[in-house]
Amino acid sequence: MVFSERGIPMTGAAYKIEPMQPAKKKSIWKTLWDQKWLMVMSIPVLLYVLLFNYYPLWGWRYAFQNLDLSTIKKGADWIGLDNFKWLFNEKYFWLGIRNTLAMSVINLIFGTLASILLAILLNEVRNRTFKRTVQTVTYLPHFLSMVIVVGMAQNMFVSDGPINQMLLSLKLIDQPVWWLGEGKYFWFLVGLINIWKEVGWNSIIYISTMTSIDPTLYEAAAIDGAGRFQRILHVTLPGIKSTFVVLLIMNIGHLMEAGFEIQYLLGNKQVYDFSQTIDVFVLEYGIQNNKYGRAIAAGMFKSVVGIILLFAANFVAKKLDEDTLL
Amino acid sequence: MRKIIAGILAMVMLLSLCSFAVAEQEPITVTVFRGDPGDQPTEDNKIYKMIEDQFGIKFEIEFLAGDLDETLGTKIAGEDYPDLFDGGNSAEKLINAGALINLLDYISEEKTPNLYNHIKDLLPQLVNENGELFIIPNYGINYHEQVVNACNGPAFFIQKQVLAWDNYPQIKTLDQYFDLIERFITANPTDENGAKYEGFAILCEDWRHFCLINPVQHLMGQPNEGEVYINRTADENGIHKVETFIDKDYSKAYYKKLNEFFKKGFINPDTFTMTYDQYIAKLSAGTVLGMFDQTWDFGTATAALETAGMHKNTYVALPLVYDEAYGFGTISEQYLNGGVPNKDRGFGISVNCEYPERMVQLFEALLSDEWQKILQWGIEGEDYYVENGRMLMTQEQYSIRNDAAWKMANQALTIWESAPKKQGIQDDGNTWAPGDQPEILQLNMSDYDKAFLAAYGYGKWADFFNAPCELAPWGEAWQIDKAPIQDDYDKFNLIQDQQLPKIIMSADDAAFDANWDAFVAEITPYCEIYANFMQAEVTKLVELATK
Amino acid sequence: MTAVQINKKAKKPMQQDKVFPIINGIILCILMFITLYPVINTVAISFNDGIDAVRGGIGLWPRKFSTEAYGTLLNDPLTWNAFGISVARTVITTLTNLLFTSMLAFALSRKEYIFGKFITLVVVLTMYVNAGLIPNYLLIQRTLKLGKTFWVYIIPTMFSCFNMIVIRTYINGLPEALAESARIDGANDMRIFWQIIFPLCTPVLATVALFVAVGSWNQWFDTQLYNGGKKYLHTLQYLLKMKLATSMNTANAANASVDALASQAASKTTPITIRCAITVVSALPILVVYPFLQRYFVTGMVLGGVKG
Repeated sequence: MVFSERGIPMTGAAYKIEPMQPAKKKSIWKTLWDQKWLMVMSIPVLLYVLLFNYYPLWGWRYAFQNLDLSTIKKGADWIGLDNFKWLFNEKYFWLGIRNTLAMSVINLIFGTLASILLAILLNEVRNRTFKRTVQTVTYLPHFLSMVIVVGMAQNMFVSDGPINQMLLSLKLIDQPVWWLGEGKYFWFLVGLINIWKEVGWNSIIYISTMTSIDPTLYEAAAIDGAGRFQRILHVTLPGIKSTFVVLLIMNIGHLMEAGFEIQYLLGNKQVYDFSQTIDVFVLEYGIQNNKYGRAIAAGMFKSVVGIILLFAANFVAKKLDEDTLL
Repeated sequence: MRKIIAGILAMVMLLSLCSFAVAEQEPITVTVFRGDPGDQPTEDNKIYKMIEDQFGIKFEIEFLAGDLDETLGTKIAGEDYPDLFDGGNSAEKLINAGALINLLDYISEEKTPNLYNHIKDLLPQLVNENGELFIIPNYGINYHEQVVNACNGPAFFIQKQVLAWDNYPQIKTLDQYFDLIERFITANPTDENGAKYEGFAILCEDWRHFCLINPVQHLMGQPNEGEVYINRTADENGIHKVETFIDKDYSKAYYKKLNEFFKKGFINPDTFTMTYDQYIAKLSAGTVLGMFDQTWDFGTATAALETAGMHKNTYVALPLVYDEAYGFGTISEQYLNGGVPNKDRGFGISVNCEYPERMVQLFEALLSDEWQKILQWGIEGEDYYVENGRMLMTQEQYSIRNDAAWKMANQALTIWESAPKKQGIQDDGNTWAPGDQPEILQLNMSDYDKAFLAAYGYGKWADFFNAPCELAPWGEAWQIDKAPIQDDYDKFNLIQDQQLPKIIMSADDAAFDANWDAFVAEITPYCEIYANFMQAEVTKLVELATK
Repeated sequence: MTAVQINKKAKKPMQQDKVFPIINGIILCILMFITLYPVINTVAISFNDGIDAVRGGIGLWPRKFSTEAYGTLLNDPLTWNAFGISVARTVITTLTNLLFTSMLAFALSRKEYIFGKFITLVVVLTMYVNAGLIPNYLLIQRTLKLGKTFWVYIIPTMFSCFNMIVIRTYINGLPEALAESARIDGANDMRIFWQIIFPLCTPVLATVALFVAVGSWNQWFDTQLYNGGKKYLHTLQYLLKMKLATSMNTANAANASVDALASQAASKTTPITIRCAITVVSALPILVVYPFLQRYFVTGMVLGGVKG
């Protein structure tokens, strides 16, 4: 086993036997022939992706047309950037973007921290039965439908509900907080519910990554006298780093997606300015009232921002010499 | 040999003749979409079997599973239409998208007398400006008379025990109503289990926000027109003046009353954020003393209370108005409206349907008295019996109709609900709907309710109300399609949903006035657009109806 | 971090080793409680009488026991048909998806692959570029005519970029020596993939299989879009979604006949119990399958291949 100076096994790109023949000297045809099996494995998937993910982009032309109920039959007209102008003048489009980003960032930071923490705690459990039990239990809420989860949360957070009663008896507040009706609490509630529901499920990927860490590393560290925390710090965390970085980049590209189900269910008109996300916006202002052009324009905008964020995150990761997505 | 050949030939000829004879009625499968959720009928459903035997038509039904507007949004975009298309509460979208055929091309006195007679009086109201009709109303066309046993629509509701506690008073005005609730709650702050009573609940969730925004029109003596107040007497030019009421001073008075009630602590702030489920749970627990709602909206709660034997916690509908002290004149209540044809609701035949003629003929046949009895009452001897000319049901026959599994096997619910149907009274004096038949009603009323009605000296719940008024020429204005002003209409609703709770929760009179003024300032432009649009539509409908 | 530095802190860790597992255990037990309570509550409500449940206040045990909600769900022959469709789509989707996704992941993990960068870019962008509901619907419904067929469940979900990246990251973490030694032995890429990389990927493949299977099992939107009118192609989730919608349906305003109200009075199931029963029924199959997959990602990877 070869170790880097940081104490983790050298993997992937870092540890590599020189190619048998330097690529430069080979002719392009020879290279292609050598890689025929790689092509067999990848080209069909590429074609598949082109058909199912890129071909529909032709539908983006509707973003520049006045496609709605009245024009669906006789064909829509080109209207230039009118749909975008409408979007950019709509207060709730901008509020939607703000809320989406805010809730995504909260989810991303606290959600990721919570699942890594849980994965680490579980990884430290030696009793296998206990470990499995905890894992099985914590991923269960993933299967509860949002309707049920939000319903329970609402019962917890109503003015005379258990949360307020607890806070009142601890003298942390002197009168009940209107959790569900004040916009300023909404993002926090969404974050809390998301973590509760998904922390177990999201930790699965980290737990499975931790199994790929060579057990001898822990043994070596223990022999060197490292305690629990040092082993976590110097073996476990570096071991999940590339997964973490890749997921992080991926999620940064997904910042424009904060979902819509939870906002739809937990939100009400009192917190509307804080609960409206871009997805809810597309649904309410585009598809439900048959303004297809607007829906597609908003979706297009979302995609473009997503890609910019992705490239930015990927660029930063590259600068920091981390694993990248692209 | 020859004989055999001749025999075979004869048989072949016979067969081909047969197939020729039934060619017109060859068995078909008709695809159906229904804009409401529902359950698939069983394979051997009694009534669907009869329809298949008689008409050679089988149905393949798709029920609504997700959001209606989203589902229609995709179906319209893909022009993926079933043969029979019931667009539920958004059916006008199908019309606007050109998805349906004009039924008047197929309906005539000679070819389809049942359908023709069914709609001929209402035709001016039902057709659009080009004289086309795409959907025959699924409900609201009454024969002989409209049966009104109870208020099924909007009203102020109060728990029966509150009225009983005050020795069955007559509650006619808004002030009497809130005063009674206040006295009751002061005398009985909690129920027998120690749960705190809530004086008044206001459901605000999504489209059910009518509990918040609709009451004022009724306090002013108008039946349900939605969000506008319409002068029932035309001016010298024959125009019925239409105005939005939410921005007017006569609305301010109502919200002022609610604000006072809120400050006394009788309205829980959670009422503005609760979901429909939570609302039903609260009502079912029996701790909400009053609310403004529509009877059908909280049927689940009524059922839960009845089943739990909490009859005193069930609700009575009351037709409240402003008293004269408010200065809006002497107002007489008019909550009940004449039979409203459910315009543009029900089955349309889509442009993709290959057998439009046959579909119209099916509806024609199903509208006959024989089929209407089968669809509504069932099979005589099995599902009901006749005694001295009265159609009756035993307790078992009536209660099994509520069993979901039984319904799926013994009723053609989807077809019955979406197709044109007869309501009101049959020619022989029986009611068309089994549940409207007085004998059957009596069979199902609890003793508590019988005693309660007796204390008031009433025979039925509708006796709390004035008789229904005649339906206005514009029908009920909430039915008017707002698609042309959709964006502004959405804003109009959003502002009300956001601001009215704030107004009700104002800390003091100064804050109330400030909140109200801000609300009026914000909503006025949208009120103008909406009122102008509705004015034009109502005027158009009146002209069509009087033509 | 070097060995020398670790040695400096050698004394304290012994205490940590004793205290830590206890604290850890307590934390995880609290977590389990917070998580379990609502889950058990859901099960309790699902076994409660519907009308009674409307009144709320049910804790960890049904107040008025009833299996009516399950009866309503399971008595329908269409439920069992839908169960079969759901199992079929889940199994086929999981297998095809794993195959395509892991093949591409392997190809893209090869640094020397000349199309690697391009394909990666094209594929990764699909996670962020979404044409939207309507264009996708038009492709499948009108261009490919997959509507009203079983294949609409399989073909559009044969590949997942997210999972490809997860697998690729995992493969990148494997010692390169494995593949190299096989190559020297003359194995081609296909064999390296099948015989060396694929078996080593078991933990990550188990994870991905779980993700794909759960995603496919829980999917109901595609049924609504494409197969709503075909009752024998309904999936379990769609059926449950339908039952949920039905039980939440209240009488239409215009339909306000006494009949409609009475029918609500007598139905023993209510949205609340049906919803909970649905949750239990739809989660159950995954709960049964999970322990088998769990084995793969909690036992740890055997690195015998490299050491030997």
